[in-house]
Amino acid sequence: MIPRLPHWQSVVYALFVILFVALPFVQDKRVSLYVQQLTPLFIFALLAIGLNVVVGYTGLLHLGIAAFFGIGAYTAGILSVQAFPFQQSLPVVLVAAVLASAGLGVATTAPTLRLRGDYLALVTMGFGLIITFVIRNLESITDGTRGLNPVTPTLLPGLADPDLRAARLAPGWGRYWYDYPYFYFFCLGLLVVTNLFLRNLEQSRLGRAWVALREDELAAACMGLNPAKLKLSAIALGAGIAGLAGALFAIAQQTTGGPDSYDFNRSMIALCCVILGGLGNRPGVILGVFILIGYDMVLTPELDNWIQKQQINPGGKQYLKVSGWRLFIFGAALIVMMRFRPEGLLPGARMKHELHPDEDPQENLAASGNA
Amino acid sequence: MTPLLATDPAAAFGQFVLIGLVSGLLYALIALGYTMVYGIVELINFAHGDLFMLGCMLCLQVCLAVGALSEADAGTGPAVLAIAIMLLVAPVFCAALNLAVDRAVYKPLRTAPKLAPLVSAIGVSFIFMNIGLFWRGPTDISFPKLLLGETNLIEGSGMGFTTKDLMVVLVTIPTMIGLTLFVRYTSLGKAMRATAQNPTAAQLMGINVDRVIAATFAIGGALAGVASVVYGLYFNSVNYQMGFQNGLYAFTAAVLGGIGNIPGAVLGGVVIGLIKALGGAYIGAEWSEALIFGILIVILLFRPNGLLGARTREKV
Amino acid sequence: MDRRRFLSVAASVSAGSVVVGSVVIGCGGCGGSNNGSSNVIRIISSLPRTGSAEGQTTTIVNGIQMAIDDYGREIAGMKIEYSDWDDATAAAGKWEAQAEASNAKKAVADDDVMVFIGPYNSGAAKVSMPILNEGGLLQISPAATWPGLTKKQPGDTSGEPEVYRPSNRVTFCRVCPTDDIQGPLSAEFAKDELKAKRVYILDDKELYGAGIAGLFEAHCRKIGVEVLGRQGIVPTQQSFSEIAERVAALKPDLVYYGGTTQTAAGRLIKDLRTAKLTCPVMVPDGCYEKAFLESASAQDLANVYATIGGTDPKLLKGAGAEFVKKYKEKYHKNPEAYAVYGYEAGKVFLEAVKKVGKKDREAILKACLATKDFTAGAVGKWSFDADGDTTLQQLTISKIEGGDFIPKKTMEKKPGA
Repeated sequence: MIPRLPHWQSVVYALFVILFVALPFVQDKRVSLYVQQLTPLFIFALLAIGLNVVVGYTGLLHLGIAAFFGIGAYTAGILSVQAFPFQQSLPVVLVAAVLASAGLGVATTAPTLRLRGDYLALVTMGFGLIITFVIRNLESITDGTRGLNPVTPTLLPGLADPDLRAARLAPGWGRYWYDYPYFYFFCLGLLVVTNLFLRNLEQSRLGRAWVALREDELAAACMGLNPAKLKLSAIALGAGIAGLAGALFAIAQQTTGGPDSYDFNRSMIALCCVILGGLGNRPGVILGVFILIGYDMVLTPELDNWIQKQQINPGGKQYLKVSGWRLFIFGAALIVMMRFRPEGLLPGARMKHELHPDEDPQENLAASGNA
Repeated sequence: MTPLLATDPAAAFGQFVLIGLVSGLLYALIALGYTMVYGIVELINFAHGDLFMLGCMLCLQVCLAVGALSEADAGTGPAVLAIAIMLLVAPVFCAALNLAVDRAVYKPLRTAPKLAPLVSAIGVSFIFMNIGLFWRGPTDISFPKLLLGETNLIEGSGMGFTTKDLMVVLVTIPTMIGLTLFVRYTSLGKAMRATAQNPTAAQLMGINVDRVIAATFAIGGALAGVASVVYGLYFNSVNYQMGFQNGLYAFTAAVLGGIGNIPGAVLGGVVIGLIKALGGAYIGAEWSEALIFGILIVILLFRPNGLLGARTREKV
Repeated sequence: MDRRRFLSVAASVSAGSVVVGSVVIGCGGCGGSNNGSSNVIRIISSLPRTGSAEGQTTTIVNGIQMAIDDYGREIAGMKIEYSDWDDATAAAGKWEAQAEASNAKKAVADDDVMVFIGPYNSGAAKVSMPILNEGGLLQISPAATWPGLTKKQPGDTSGEPEVYRPSNRVTFCRVCPTDDIQGPLSAEFAKDELKAKRVYILDDKELYGAGIAGLFEAHCRKIGVEVLGRQGIVPTQQSFSEIAERVAALKPDLVYYGGTTQTAAGRLIKDLRTAKLTCPVMVPDGCYEKAFLESASAQDLANVYATIGGTDPKLLKGAGAEFVKKYKEKYHKNPEAYAVYGYEAGKVFLEAVKKVGKKDREAILKACLATKDFTAGAVGKWSFDADGDTTLQQLTISKIEGGDFIPKKTMEKKPGA
């Protein structure tokens, strides 16, 4: 029974990936309109699985992941906008973003490792806030609240971007590599690759050591694991993935936005996605992103447009709009989840065992009965 | 950089210290709610700042209902009535709301892993903000200036310390002293301390832990209510996002002082008020928040349990 | 068991997304006459509809609606549809780059969309302009006033405005006067009318606020008004007492705040007054709204001057007065300053459609940008210049009295100034 499990899951994942790859080829303008909006979802999924490495694997409650997202975005911005002399290409930009975020993650976490859980959480939150103020105030580098733009690195070093209009296979396809659907495929590809990498990592020595650390730091240390080193490696990896997501984010919207794109709210929402989906379980985390951010960015505007078309709300009353209830719905979703399914929608096996220890044996029996 | 106060540098410094102290006392009042709840149930109550915001909205509503609408009403019957009603209603409202939220949301999660109530608290905070948004809309709203005459009490020193500042001191300090005495000497206070130390042992000793937790939430909420009255009258401006910012300062104050520690929260609040005022004046207002968190991190590095926090070994 | 639950969740999720998707897609068509989308012209507006700018954007949306109503919601045999999109998210409480970018992309991809009205914030314009430019879609902003969006600013190194025009042509225009009129004329007013010799400048460090404060500062220096200092604030802070104390100690004749109601103008002025600073305070058009009047007490707002490009609704004559009257009848309140620009944006687009007579993005874009001596709207006669800016170069300065903006002076930009 056990060896067949990953098999089934792999099939489901593969089906999803094939679906996402196939979508841009649908010969319908309306479909492409909505498929376009999946690109940011892939990027936020990367951010969330980066956060998941830190919070889910090692159990360090990190409340400032958006800082690394921002560092990645601004690294990409600085290396590609016209205002600076760098004008680097995509591979350079992405590698630099990952290294900058990971380096900063290690540098800022190393001194704080001896803090207890809640204090560490606060320090990470403080760090996240400091980064937004640094971005805001170092105007000569970051252009303050205005953001760097346009963030459009060349695809390959030394080559002009190819005009891809000739390669158009369906309506809505753009011109350059950073347009839909090329960038969509690129983000999807990176998401899949990162996922495969993390899946292998989870099975590796390091992955198992992280889980041991999360379960019982003292016991893990007694068994000869080095908690500091393990925590730092998790932060480096998580921050690096978040930085990668940040660079993609900046390229996707062609601007770094301003510091507000990387504030506490962003960290909070990423954390909500991780928790809603299932802490520590990648598929769950990705599902969490699709539900929460998909709801916020895709569904809400559509519902509001629909309400508007029906002329239900001529006075433009805030409480008659779906968008007016966003915070409420986010909040209620979190509360209800925590109350009735704290392990998340798609929990990892271990997490579920911890939260519902008594249910497990029976369910196992039932499952083996079915098999 | 522009030159600082041209007139008298010493008086200017004193002025900034006064600003820092007064706003610090306000942060402390909110911080007490965080620290008490954390001390007992180890929950960072993210919704506390927004509870305070709803208290402010309620106070504004009271003013409008009573008809105390502007500074012209200061000192008149409606203003006095409005302040009296606010002082009565806001703490009760906040205490009841906090209690209700605890019952409905946090209580079922008492035995769940720590992350569960924390995330729920974030959820409650979102909901409160949404209520505030529906209640008074998205922009700043002016809060009527109901306090009589902003007379400077230390005229001639080159500094300003008005009746308004005095009001903050006169409300916050007795409240804190009262709270400290309450926790130290009443039986409920003792039960609280016992529960904070070891809930299981406290329960075994016959303490009704549920009741103690409920009381903690109620007292924390009531303090937020008092803070909202003082804040409204002192800062004369409310908006639905004020809870986040003030809550953040207060929460930082609680941690800085040593979370769970009542005098620590007060000290933390004052320290944060001072950093904000002095940093804002001498380093640049755009850096003051970065400074607050920078100093917080540095202090935690050297005193990992906060300024007054007891050194506890992590339980094994 | 894992597998079972996973499959059930996966199945329900995919079923859910299919349902949602079909609702969404079905709805996309339900507005038009079945699938024949050829008979529909869609207007998109992208404005911050959630959060603190909501008051002003509602009035813009109302203005656009009124422009559409003027044509009976039909033009050149085509039905006019209007979608009011939000570029803010509730979590941020203000515009977000990602929402604005997504709106722009959606608009470009929808063949029915002939115009993108918006955004409200200049910072957001920086995000959507390149996308719409590349998509060849006409963009009319009713409120983004940062001059660099259309014209090169002295000393600029970021490549404005060419960076916003990847297809090397103009697709963005705006019906509101820009800050390079507002900033300098405000400085003139401060010197000539308010007799200010020494001013202190504060700003919110955002594109709009810092931009206009910079233009004000530069002109002050040019006309010999002493600038005592300039300080950026962090609008999320709840109190500005220490800044207020510092400013008060310098005893300026006037304080200028480059910022909006949403970036704490009311709170800042309240703190300045608490610090016993009674001199005049000037604020730009981002504060020219009712919400600003409610954000601080009447006592604090005494001696506060606000400026607005063009004319205050109260001063409008002819078609403008008619617009104000109709607005009041329809929405039962006075239009705010920007309502008229929402109306103007709608009108100038629909007039262009009328001229072209068919659904053709390119033709409408050209016709609209070629608008000269336009009088069909409410603000008087104006044209678009080669960069897409309005030639309407007026500034009205109002003083806040009795809880309202009372226009004091209307100024014209001096030629060559």
